[in-house]
Amino acid sequence: MPRTDPSNFAKDMRRGTVLSVAAALVWLAAAAVIAWSLGTLLTDPSRLQPLVMAGGFAALALLRSLLEAAAQRALARAADARIAALRDGITRAEAAAATPSAHGGAGALAALAAEKLEAVRPYLLRYRPARMRASVLPLVILAIAAWHSWAVAVVLLLAGPLIPVFMALVGWAAKSASEEQMAEIGQLSDLLVDRLAALSDLRLVGAGPQTVDSFARASEDLRHRTMAVLRIAFLSSTVLELFSALGVAMVAIWVGFSLLGELGWGAWGAELSPAVGIYLLLLAPEFFQPLRDLAAAWHDRAAAEAVLDEIDAWRAEDRPQRMGHGTQAAPLAPLPVVQLQGVSRGAIRFPDLRVAPGETVALTGPSGCGKTTLLRLLAGLERPDTGRILLDGRVLEDDTADAWRATLGWMPQAPHFGNRSLRHNIGFGAPLDPALIETARLSEVLASLPRGDLTRLGERGAGLSGGEARRVTLARALHGRPGLILADEPTADLDAATAHAITDGLMRYVRDGGTLILATHDPALAARMDRQVALGTAEAAA
Amino acid sequence: MTALLRLVLILARAEQRALWRGLALSVTVLAMGVALLGLSGWFITAAAAAGMAGLGILFNVFAPSAMVRLLALGRTAARYGERVLTHDATLRALSGLRIRLLQGLLHSPYRQLERMRANAFLNRVTADTDALDGALLRLILPALAGWTVILCSGALLWPLVHPWIALAVAGGYLILPTATFALGQRVARHPARRAEAALQAARSRLIDLVAGRDDLAMHGQLRQSAAQVETAFARHAAARARLDGIERVTGALLDMTGAGLTVLALGLGIALVQQGAITAPQAAIGVFVALALGETVAPVRRALSEIGRMTQAARRILPALDTPAEASGGQPPEGTLVFDAVTFARPEADRPVFAPLSLRVAPGETVVLEGPSGSGKSTALLLAAGALTPSTGTVRIGGQDPAALPLTARTGSIAVVPQRHALIAGTVAENLRLAAPEASEDRLWQVLETVQLADTLRARDGLETRLGFRGTGLSGGEARRLVLARALLRQPRLLLLDEPTEGLDAETARAVMSGLRAACPGAAILLAAHRTEERACADRHVRVTRPENLHDRWGI
Repeated sequence: MPRTDPSNFAKDMRRGTVLSVAAALVWLAAAAVIAWSLGTLLTDPSRLQPLVMAGGFAALALLRSLLEAAAQRALARAADARIAALRDGITRAEAAAATPSAHGGAGALAALAAEKLEAVRPYLLRYRPARMRASVLPLVILAIAAWHSWAVAVVLLLAGPLIPVFMALVGWAAKSASEEQMAEIGQLSDLLVDRLAALSDLRLVGAGPQTVDSFARASEDLRHRTMAVLRIAFLSSTVLELFSALGVAMVAIWVGFSLLGELGWGAWGAELSPAVGIYLLLLAPEFFQPLRDLAAAWHDRAAAEAVLDEIDAWRAEDRPQRMGHGTQAAPLAPLPVVQLQGVSRGAIRFPDLRVAPGETVALTGPSGCGKTTLLRLLAGLERPDTGRILLDGRVLEDDTADAWRATLGWMPQAPHFGNRSLRHNIGFGAPLDPALIETARLSEVLASLPRGDLTRLGERGAGLSGGEARRVTLARALHGRPGLILADEPTADLDAATAHAITDGLMRYVRDGGTLILATHDPALAARMDRQVALGTAEAAA
Repeated sequence: MTALLRLVLILARAEQRALWRGLALSVTVLAMGVALLGLSGWFITAAAAAGMAGLGILFNVFAPSAMVRLLALGRTAARYGERVLTHDATLRALSGLRIRLLQGLLHSPYRQLERMRANAFLNRVTADTDALDGALLRLILPALAGWTVILCSGALLWPLVHPWIALAVAGGYLILPTATFALGQRVARHPARRAEAALQAARSRLIDLVAGRDDLAMHGQLRQSAAQVETAFARHAAARARLDGIERVTGALLDMTGAGLTVLALGLGIALVQQGAITAPQAAIGVFVALALGETVAPVRRALSEIGRMTQAARRILPALDTPAEASGGQPPEGTLVFDAVTFARPEADRPVFAPLSLRVAPGETVVLEGPSGSGKSTALLLAAGALTPSTGTVRIGGQDPAALPLTARTGSIAVVPQRHALIAGTVAENLRLAAPEASEDRLWQVLETVQLADTLRARDGLETRLGFRGTGLSGGEARRLVLARALLRQPRLLLLDEPTEGLDAETARAVMSGLRAACPGAAILLAAHRTEERACADRHVRVTRPENLHDRWGI
């Protein structure tokens, strides 16, 4: 689909805002037609052509609707462009980042990009044009009123006096309403989610009914507090409406008395004609309408600013970038010799290391000594702070990373399974090779799944036990016959039988000529490698 | 739409009185607004007419001007009351909706409940219940109030102005906006559904991208995955643009309705005045009322933009609200737990989880289930609890089939402690009392001692220690023991434990296991276990094995 160019955002925004002000101004002309018709109806009814008057009004009303629709169109385009740019920005930045964001997990970021960003749309569609109308229309109407009658102008000025004061009031009211009330309503959802997540297990201990009761109490409590906040908010917006109602009523009464001839002042010494009187009455509510629109849109602003602040906070974080693009590339053949030279990352200084094709190496050492980090450095998922990683003497850099990764098999400790079929999670669409199923001991896993390798895996591999997930990870690492496998704690947290099956699969890969670097705590597994490199100690085997 | 209406009826029935009052005030606000403008218009035109005729002295200005002020102030006051009342009623109704949802789900099958733990489901429920808060406030109440005021205005215009003007204004306002709404929501239905589906797809793909970015980079799939996320967002934007277009057209139609009916009132008024059928002030009333009724139409626009989300949310929420008739009665089962050649297959799976399992646990005995991870130990515990029904074989407790008993009877004597720790936001005492609301503080401390948690909690705020959502604030091992303590409060006759001491050091684990037995000496205990500390306390061990001699689809 065609994407709006983000650079047009400002132009569309300006156009939409101006058109929306224009539409409101057209209404002032349409009101004049009504006033003039009714005025003439009083003075000289026979002169009036009903069709001409109705047609004139209808034409102006149509023009207003068209202008308004055009304004909305431009604003919607601007909003789309802005939101699309923000979303693409999040997607790209997250894809390029080498480390998780401190801002939140995948779920939080996805909620930010998908649902929460939608809150920016009403802000752009409603608040910005409402602010423009609020700063233009009251002044225009005040000028028209003052032209005909200083009394009406004074009334409007007094009732909508202190527009800044007025606005502060609105702001305060809406702020307390949106922030606190939103926060509280949000909490109620959180409470529900909290209970729902626990419900299956709470029911097993017979705590189901009590859970519902405790939720009901919490929910009632929240309702009381929310209403207390809302009452204040409504009271402040009632003050706003009171000003506007009083203003309209006072204009109506002044106009009425003037027309009766009981008041001789207020119209610059001239006599008020019925048409002008009716016109002034029609304008009075329009004087206040933009301010009320703005008040109604204030909530949109608060919601949008909260989201934009969140995005700023996310953006402000300085995160390391991964090497390469993460795209498909031709694997390096033959497998290069891997060398580590003076590599350090954070506080950890890694020993120099040389791994030739066909070798097997165990990285050992206590938790936190940098085993996982070293595997990630070797894979180009992180950049070393100092030193370099050489592949047959060539430095692992952005331009070599993708081809190098295509050469590798990767077996992380906590893999993420996408919300796709098992087959897709292993081979990214390619059908599974029977030899692969054999090596990874996958047949039992496949048989227990309702739709075999077409079964969809959810977040965190829902439906797979820990041991099954590990077998799938092994199958994924073996897929595509990699020259070198990097495995992080392949046997941790497994029962003896599964651990044996995984080790067996890895050793079979080695027998077939594979190269293996693994991080492990398991001395038995480490002993089966050609050599062991202890990290976190001064003298490392080289 | 039907689902939404049914849901609204459920909501409304629960809060009838508050809603009727809210509706009455909504009507008052709208009616006063219409009366204010109509009266002002008449007042000014009539005053002008009297002034021109030189009859200004005789014109009674005080009644109408007092009315104008009364209406202006009354409307403001009514507006405040209306807002407070309808929001209160809506909050009540929504609170009721969430409670009913929880109650309804409480009786759904175990597997279904278990699936709800997924974040996607929980986000969905949150979004759905939030979407429904506008159903009463911005759809039903404004519609009812609007119709009422339009009808009343028509009824008043008939004698006050002229039947034609009454018919034109009231008839037009009754039919046109409602038709626009009906049409608009129909046309918007498909794009709304597409927009929702695309957004969900984008969300799910972005989760996979962020959580799996290292794995995806390793397999060269990163660029492609990012592109898939962007495609889904683009699909959403396209559907959204279509929706915006529909909203613009319906918005313009609604604007034109107000303007058109004002034109009609003006034209008819002029013609009728020229015929001498009515006076100019009467015509002014017609025009001003037509203008003022535009306010009744304003909510239609907002409702149209929300109706798509609301109907989808209602369709998803409604089935969960059907609370099955509470089956009661039945004695809590007691006696020996017997498995006789039990197997269990997941729905659609072509083979059972484990080989036929037979075991006996008499009161006072402890039996350990052993087997590799994924072999079905947890499933066996759920079968014993009656949460699942075996595919073949029988499960009996003292001769009764637990799965056939009503929930209350079943949980009366059986307690299951799963591997996960189901804790809720609140204090430790609140979490414990979920299982036994009347338990005394002494009793709470007693079970905390049993699971070796009393000292840890005493060092903090004791029973008043606060836990965050899903029990955050406790370590994994502490949370697990708290859940264990909660199960003990029920004094179960059959205790089913899934790796109860995982994450504890050996000494604490031994103390917990011996404490458990001491706390309920007469209970039959069945536990799934890996650890030696757990296995050491058993009277017997039973091995859960994978089924053999399968027909294997992959021919290996």
